Amino acid sequence: MGTMGLALPWKARISSVPRERGTRVEPSEHFVGGPNLAAEDAQSEDAALAAACRSGDLRAYERLYEIHGARMKNLARNLLGNPVDAEDAVQETFLKVHRSIAGFRGQSSFVTWTYRILINTCYDARRSRLRKKEVANEDSEESPGFEPRAPGAHPTLRMALERALAKLTQHQRDVFLLYEVEGFRHAEIAGMLEMTETASKNTLFQAKKSLRQMLEPPRGSAAEAR
Amino acid sequence: MNVTCSDRDRIFEDGTTGEWAALEVHAASCPVCKEEVRAWKSLSVAAKELRDYSESPSFWPRIERALAEEATKKAQRAGLRRWFSFLPEISLGWQTALAGALVLILTVSGGWILHRQRFVEPNPDDQSLLKSKALKEVESAETAYERAIDKLAAEAKPQLDNPATPLLANYHEKLLVLDSAIADLRAQAGLNPSNAQLRYQLLAMYQEKQRTLEEVLEARQR
Ligand SMILES: [Zn+2]
Repeated sequence: MGTMGLALPWKARISSVPRERGTRVEPSEHFVGGPNLAAEDAQSEDAALAAACRSGDLRAYERLYEIHGARMKNLARNLLGNPVDAEDAVQETFLKVHRSIAGFRGQSSFVTWTYRILINTCYDARRSRLRKKEVANEDSEESPGFEPRAPGAHPTLRMALERALAKLTQHQRDVFLLYEVEGFRHAEIAGMLEMTETASKNTLFQAKKSLRQMLEPPRGSAAEAR
Repeated sequence: MNVTCSDRDRIFEDGTTGEWAALEVHAASCPVCKEEVRAWKSLSVAAKELRDYSESPSFWPRIERALAEEATKKAQRAGLRRWFSFLPEISLGWQTALAGALVLILTVSGGWILHRQRFVEPNPDDQSLLKSKALKEVESAETAYERAIDKLAAEAKPQLDNPATPLLANYHEKLLVLDSAIADLRAQAGLNPSNAQLRYQLLAMYQEKQRTLEEVLEARQR
C-alpha cells in the first residue's frame, strides 16, 4: 500500500505502534503519558483524522488503516481465532465507521471509538458463529479454533496461552489482549470497553492471576525452599 | 519505601514506579516474591507470542473497494433523498398522482423491454454476449443483490403489507411491478444466459428494487 504523499495535518503520527515494552517492567502506565503537549498533539491528530473520515475522504481511511490496520487485525485474530474471520471483522469495522461517522460526536477519541466498533464486531461474529454451530448441533462451547501463524512464534507457549485466554471471562480476555498484546494504556482501554480505568487495572490483575494459575501454578513450598 | 509480601498484589494491580522499585529490592531477599515477580513479568513476555503484525498487501485494496461501493450507495441514497425532498411540500393528491405516473412509466418501459427481448435472437458474434468469466461475475452480482434485497424485503414487509400512508401504498405497487418485470427478465435470462443486455437490465431492475426498499425503510424512520 502506498503512502499517497498526503499533506494532511494528521500525517504526522498518531500513537501508531503499540508501546514497545520489550521485557517491560510494570507499571508502564507511570512511564507513559508524557508532557501534556504530546497528548494535545495526539488529540488534535485524532480529531483531524475523524474530520477527514467524516468528509468521506477515502485517503483518511487509508491513513487509519496504515496506522491501526495491523493492530486491528491482530486483535481481531486473537478474539476470533483465525485470520479469515479477522479480516472480515476489520473490513466490517471500516464500513461501520464509514456508515456512522456522521453520528460520532467525539465523546471519546476517534481511534478508541473505532476499536470499540471492532471489538463489538468481533463479538457479533463470534455469536453468529456460535449460533451456526448450535444449528449444526456441534459442540456448543465457543472457543476460537486457533490456527497456526507467524513461523517465528513459539508454538507451544502461544497455544498454551491461547487456550488459557479462552477460559477467561470476556472482559479479562479483552483487557489482557488490549494491554499486554496491543500495548494500549488503561485510559484507552477504559474508553474502548466502557469501563473505568480502575476497573481496567483490576480486570487485568484478575486476568493475569488466572493465567498464572493455568499456565504456571505457583510452586509454593518449592520456591520457599530455595 | 518499605514493602512487604502483603503489598505485592496491590503493586501488581496498580503500583507506582517507586513501589515497583521497592518490590524488586524486597524480592531480591524474598524467594516467594522473587518467584511471583518473575512469573508476573513472564506473562507480559509471553503475550508477545500473540503479536503478528505481518503485512497482507491485498487487504487494504479489498477494504478500499468495499468503502468505495459503500460511498457510491450513500451518494445514490442522498441524491434520491434530495430528489424526493420536495414530496412533503406538495399535496397528497399530487403525491399519489406522481407515484401512479411512475408506476405507469415503469410498466410501459418494462413491457417494451420484454417485448423487444422476445424477438431478439442471440447472435454468436454479438459483442453483447457475455464471456463465461464475465457471466460468472454478473451472476454473482445478481446473487449478491438477491441476498441484499431479501434482507431488505423482510425488514420492509410489515410496512408494505399494511401501508400506513398513500406513499407507502404506492411503493407497494411499484414493488409489485418491479417483481413481475424481474420475474420475466429472469425467465428470459434463463433461456439465454449470455445475453449481456438482458443481464444488465436485470441488474438495473434489482438496483431499482433495492433503492425502493431502502426508501420504504427510510420512510418508516421518518
Ligand atoms: Zn516477599
